Amino acid sequence: MKEATTSKIAWGWLALAAVFLVYPLVFQSAFFRDIGVLLLLAAISASAWNIVGGYAGQVSVGHGMFFGVGAYVPLMVFTHLGWPPLLGVPIAIVVVLVLSVIVGMPTFRLQGHYFSMATLAVAELIRLLVGTWDFAGAAIGLSGPAIPRGWWDLTFTSELPYYYIFLGVLATLLLVTWQVQRSRFGYYMRAVKAGERAAKSLGVPVRRTKLFALMLSAAFTSIAGSLYAIKTGFVDPESGFGILVSVQMLIIAALGGAGTLIGPLIGAIILIPLQTATNTWFGGGGSGLTYILYGGIIVLLARFEPGGLVELWNTYAPRRWRSGSHAP
Amino acid sequence: MLLEAKNVAKHFGEFRAVADANLTVAEGDVIGLIGPNGAGKSTFFNCLAGDTEPTAGTILFDGQDVTNASTETHARLGIGRTFQVPATFEDMTILENVMVGAFMRHPGRADARAHAEKIIEMTGLREHAHLRARSLGTPGRKRLEIARVLATGPRLMLLDEALAGLTPGELQQAITLVRRIHETGVTLVIVEHIMEVIMTLTARVLVFNQGHVIASGKPQDVVKDPLVIEAYLGHGHGKRARKRGPAA
Repeated sequence: MKEATTSKIAWGWLALAAVFLVYPLVFQSAFFRDIGVLLLLAAISASAWNIVGGYAGQVSVGHGMFFGVGAYVPLMVFTHLGWPPLLGVPIAIVVVLVLSVIVGMPTFRLQGHYFSMATLAVAELIRLLVGTWDFAGAAIGLSGPAIPRGWWDLTFTSELPYYYIFLGVLATLLLVTWQVQRSRFGYYMRAVKAGERAAKSLGVPVRRTKLFALMLSAAFTSIAGSLYAIKTGFVDPESGFGILVSVQMLIIAALGGAGTLIGPLIGAIILIPLQTATNTWFGGGGSGLTYILYGGIIVLLARFEPGGLVELWNTYAPRRWRSGSHAP
Repeated sequence: MLLEAKNVAKHFGEFRAVADANLTVAEGDVIGLIGPNGAGKSTFFNCLAGDTEPTAGTILFDGQDVTNASTETHARLGIGRTFQVPATFEDMTILENVMVGAFMRHPGRADARAHAEKIIEMTGLREHAHLRARSLGTPGRKRLEIARVLATGPRLMLLDEALAGLTPGELQQAITLVRRIHETGVTLVIVEHIMEVIMTLTARVLVFNQGHVIASGKPQDVVKDPLVIEAYLGHGHGKRARKRGPAA
């Protein structure tokens, strides 16, 4: 029974991978390919957030700080040193690892919402500081190479190479998350989320587990930020560290199902086309619609299904299609 | 001695929840902690489990001072505990719950799973292994808590009303399970209100009242102690018991 479910899930993933692989070949217009790239980027960010927010249950409302660092550092090394932005990616990862330790060490001593409040405060603080820091382009921001000096600048005119690079990163992230969720660390994260006191009594190193989850999550969020900056060739305080960047990751993961592998991907598949549609239909006049959309989703999730669409599926779908571990 | 608690006290401001409590537990013992509600036994129990730091006194486990050690350290040293209100990981399956405990001494996934399956078999949870913990009723959850602690490979298990709220049939099954655990060499300290459990399982009992240990000894003797009767039934009943003299 369990083997049959596992095989069904494996086939489901293979089918999804096939759809993603052929999508830009079927939809060849720049508009649809752009939606595909945006969707993949959102899925990467939300899946990265999902490690600490979904699996470990430590809800970060300021993951934009890691995304922003990931976006700024590659463009900084290009602007000030003339290096390819790609070389800034590992530097950004080191910076966010240090940042996550600074944020996580004091806040993970406490339980409850302190971590959420701290992440929100630090992200806003960094956004304000970067907005006045000339080295980071202050309020105007930074730009990447306008004309590529070689392939290593990763500046392409077509969306296609970005699409497949992003798809590769997403596949790697999902593979890492899958391995992690099957490991001792993965079980410990879920135990911490379910109940810290009980987890401690079973020898789970709660603070260390939360900190490692944050570091892993921050590293992948930073990569998402770097991909965004390299692809867009531009970043400013709002697009890097803005509150919408943080909230989008959270909403996408929660909509699909936080703490599940597929959840953030489902959330991105639903939310990004919806967001693009509202932006296209209403243009600049509808710029506030994104906030309304996010607010509406939060209300619906809180009222009807905090576990997101995956949980909804596990509750109402025909039993043979559910994910095995659910009680009858 | 496996566990020694010397003059343990716990104060919450002016309120003395536990005052000068002493307990010695030898390897293989089964000790009961009883007392009326609010007597201080759960606070004392939490001090032993590393959940609450005592205000005064020392607690030694296998000769090592664990008075101020964290709960995680207690678990690693071999002190496992259950909770009065079961604290199972609701969204995880029964097998996954037990694997969290098993991972402490079996870091590899396959090893942890094999060990957890063995424990699940022993505790009679096999047919529910792939259901989520939230689908279990109270008896199942209590059983799962015991299984989870067992999976950590404890030398001492602290059971906090682990058998409360069970039907007579379930209680008998639970008593059999606790006996089986004891037979595997695990030492037990049991906080319990159900006298049947105390009389059946324990060799020695400590009675708490208003933060103090008012009596200790064999359960059969302790239940006849006038101080104990007074603690449970109120002022006057102890005096009447004293007048009647010891029961035959």
